[in-house]
Amino acid sequence: MTKKVTINFTVNGDRETREAVVGQTLLKFIREDLHLTGTKEGCEIGECGACTVLLDGKPVNSCLVLAVELEGKELVTIEGLSKNGELDKLQHAFIDKFAFQCGYCTPGMIMASKALLDRNPNPTDEDINEALSGNLCRCGAYQEIREAIKASAKQ
Amino acid sequence: MLSYDYVKCSDLKQAFDALKANEHAFPLAGGTDLMVGMRGGKFVPRLLVDIKGLEELKVLKEDSAGITIGSAVTLNQIALFEPVVKNAAPLAAGAHSVGSYPIRNRATLAGNLCNASPAADTAAPLYSLGAIINLVGPDQQRSMPIEEFFLGPGKTALQKGELVHSILIPKPYPAGKGVYIKASRTGSVDLSTVGVAVQNWGGKVRIAVGAVAPTPVRALAVEKAVNEGGEKDWARAAKQVHDDISPITDLRGSREYRYHIAEVLVRRGLEQTMGV
Repeated sequence: MTKKVTINFTVNGDRETREAVVGQTLLKFIREDLHLTGTKEGCEIGECGACTVLLDGKPVNSCLVLAVELEGKELVTIEGLSKNGELDKLQHAFIDKFAFQCGYCTPGMIMASKALLDRNPNPTDEDINEALSGNLCRCGAYQEIREAIKASAKQ
Repeated sequence: MLSYDYVKCSDLKQAFDALKANEHAFPLAGGTDLMVGMRGGKFVPRLLVDIKGLEELKVLKEDSAGITIGSAVTLNQIALFEPVVKNAAPLAAGAHSVGSYPIRNRATLAGNLCNASPAADTAAPLYSLGAIINLVGPDQQRSMPIEEFFLGPGKTALQKGELVHSILIPKPYPAGKGVYIKASRTGSVDLSTVGVAVQNWGGKVRIAVGAVAPTPVRALAVEKAVNEGGEKDWARAAKQVHDDISPITDLRGSREYRYHIAEVLVRRGLEQTMGV
């Protein structure tokens, strides 16, 4: 029988009470229960970063977290960055600098970048490389991604 | 989807009771190795015992005994903790080299040690710093040097139902520079092909090498040449590392490459810590 646990948490500013299946990853819970499909599934072993979300303000690989561990936490996904239908300036910077091709890694890239800018408003190239070391882009848009982050930092 | 029970513990007694009650219970801290292992079938738990919320395991402090790192403390916390950066540089570098920034927000030092990979990037630094592992079980507490904790690939001195409570970097701290140098296939998100920790202890050197034997090992022959033989030619001293290691060929590198790169990294480590 599938076991469920009731969890209380905040997602993109809204308080929620849900049932989570024990054994379900936070990634699956976000996509299949919260229906927030901006967070992408890639490798499922913490190597690609496509599933990066913010948990209590810190970037984590949601494929390596259990949904039941969300209890009492604050979760922010890519959907949480826009306000009243207006994209965040970091999202605008990614568009302006064309910091993607296929776009699959982009939500994870933006969440990891958002966390970087929150803790370091003026990152160097080295800071960016380190912060995004867990995010892979198979289209190879790394240069543009760095430019987008620096452009957003300047605004 | 995997099917098991989950319990979030609020004290150690609850954790020990849960671990005792179920033969297939696994402690869960950061979960970054456990989750991957579960998905690949390496671990098949019936119960996950979540210990990361326990206040006494979240301790990260410096006092008269040294630096104490609780088993629920993450690698990012350790890599940025000022006393570690200042007094235990190989550990700060080793912790910083694990996985990626998001992984280090979850992964713990204790987890890296309990996974007992010979290539664990925090292990060689702890050998070079003379770290003590504090274990706690339902009936007793015990402590041991890290050399006695590591028994082989995936094997530690932990007994069933026991947990790592904390890791101690004891005082007096080494009076000298320390480094951890890692060779890996990619710049991040990879275990080391070879990892070398070199710590200068007031003119004497202590060296540990990872991923070259069933456990991390001290480079005792190199240490002897430098500390007792007075060897000042670091290239010649570094050659002695061949006597200390027994690497194998695997997906990260061949046996021959590991012999070569271990020697190179030991030489660099000596240059960086003992002066050129």
